[in-house]
Amino acid sequence: MQIRHRVRVVILLTLLLFCSAFGAAEPGGNGDSMRDMQCGGACHGDASMNETSQALLSLSADDTIYLGIPTTLTLTATNLETSSTRVIGLFLLTDMTGHSDTPQDAGWDILSDANGGSVNYIERTLTSGQNETTISWVLRASSLGPTSFYAAIHHGGASSSPFFGSTANSLAVNVEPVPENLPRLAADFTPPTKRLLNSPTELLIHTEYTESLQFEWMAEDGLVQTSIVNTSGENSWTTSLPAALQPTTVQWRVIMEGEGPEQTSPWFTLTAEKASWEVSQNAVYLQAFALLFMTAGIVLSLQNRFAYIPSLSKYDEAPALLEAHSSSSTPENPVSTAVAPLPAEGLPNGWTEEQWEWYGHDYLAGKYGGGNE
Amino acid sequence: MISSETFHVVTTELVVGAFSVSGLSFTLYLLVYFGILKRPSWESMFDNVAHFTLAFGLAATPFAILSGLSSSPGEGLNSPILVNKMFLSMTGFGFALGCLISRWRLGNAVWSSTKSSALHGASGLAACGAMLLTASAGGTFTRGESLLDIFHLPYQQVLLFPLLVSLTALLLGAVMLVIGWRRMNSISSIH
Repeated sequence: MQIRHRVRVVILLTLLLFCSAFGAAEPGGNGDSMRDMQCGGACHGDASMNETSQALLSLSADDTIYLGIPTTLTLTATNLETSSTRVIGLFLLTDMTGHSDTPQDAGWDILSDANGGSVNYIERTLTSGQNETTISWVLRASSLGPTSFYAAIHHGGASSSPFFGSTANSLAVNVEPVPENLPRLAADFTPPTKRLLNSPTELLIHTEYTESLQFEWMAEDGLVQTSIVNTSGENSWTTSLPAALQPTTVQWRVIMEGEGPEQTSPWFTLTAEKASWEVSQNAVYLQAFALLFMTAGIVLSLQNRFAYIPSLSKYDEAPALLEAHSSSSTPENPVSTAVAPLPAEGLPNGWTEEQWEWYGHDYLAGKYGGGNE
Repeated sequence: MISSETFHVVTTELVVGAFSVSGLSFTLYLLVYFGILKRPSWESMFDNVAHFTLAFGLAATPFAILSGLSSSPGEGLNSPILVNKMFLSMTGFGFALGCLISRWRLGNAVWSSTKSSALHGASGLAACGAMLLTASAGGTFTRGESLLDIFHLPYQQVLLFPLLVSLTALLLGAVMLVIGWRRMNSISSIH
């Protein structure tokens, strides 16, 4: 019972430790991802678990949004207060129910976000003294009609409670049919968001109703530059960006001319990063456990071999057993090892007392030619 | 309420601290055993401290490994340093496990001969060394530097066996562990 009780206590403590590790808020951030408001890292969206953020959020969009053409939504966050880590998390949402509320759920594709990904939840680390920030998403609608957009924020603060806030009002946008002959990016064109370090990036851009195209890009210093564009077929264009030597982001856009009015695409963000490293996780875990068992097994085997264990045979225990046996003998049960009575003439000729102790009975039985026989 | 990063820091500090004390105690015990340190009365103390701290570090190790996996950025093992950390920590875990089981089942007999003492001390020190290397790799991963950088350890290189080799090694190790355990049990029953 005592062991069972201890096992229960150990299990309970283990569960508590795991709860603190995996069920807690993430003051260091939870990583950019596609997230519902309710699951934006440690349930900050749960009204019962957070305090109200004092941040002011404001969303804005282009005046006209066409079906299938990328457009920019900009979020401005002011009056920001954070914890010592200065990390904030920002959501772009299409309702405030807490679930199934991402732009994707409402039929919008996120082509680019401010961190060089394509997700609705991104994190920013504010610099010291910074209390406002502006970020953008590039989206593309796949259906006509109105959509309401919301923004939300979560962050830490002076107290240990998480803070959550959202836009006071929604931003209503209406997706219209695209005009005939409007120069535009192809409906199936998806801009890349990542590229590798140390190698120039070739971009292949597909357009529609476009006769000429200009390519502009902007590094983090804000200087806008152009690149030479070559055509590789009707409405197909190639251009290149110089190699990035450090993990950094550039933004690029195209200016398209054709029969219709000139069009400028949103700024797309392209992040340079190291080539990802991949490994078979099953192989790693299997090898890790193999190392564990092998090392433990080798240590045990060698220790068995080298440790000096005094060898105890059953004969080594005989004196102790005899002593125990003799001490337990009773007078009613005379032991067979009792010394035989000496004959009247004394010890047989040539015998010692010790020999008599052991072989006296045999002598009396006539085994050695004497005694009673 | 703490994050898995903070929990990982807490558990790794426990592991590294415990294993460091254990390694120091094993070293001092061996110095006494081989007559370099003339304090035979300290043997028992170093023996107890070495094994107690080793057991404590071993108990904290799974928490450090699990919280390390959950707190690493990105999905899963996406860096050779993380893979090497996993290998080193599991190797250290194995050494510590073997060392503790030996001490538990054989008792003072682990110190009964020079070879056995050297092996037992070496396994304890190997466990300590593997854990310190793991911590060093963690420092290299998060901060880009570590105290052991002077040795230019190849954390970026991963020696990954084919699945079949790992599987064979796993089975072989398990068999050795079971046989070793059973032999120690039979020795213990005589005692």
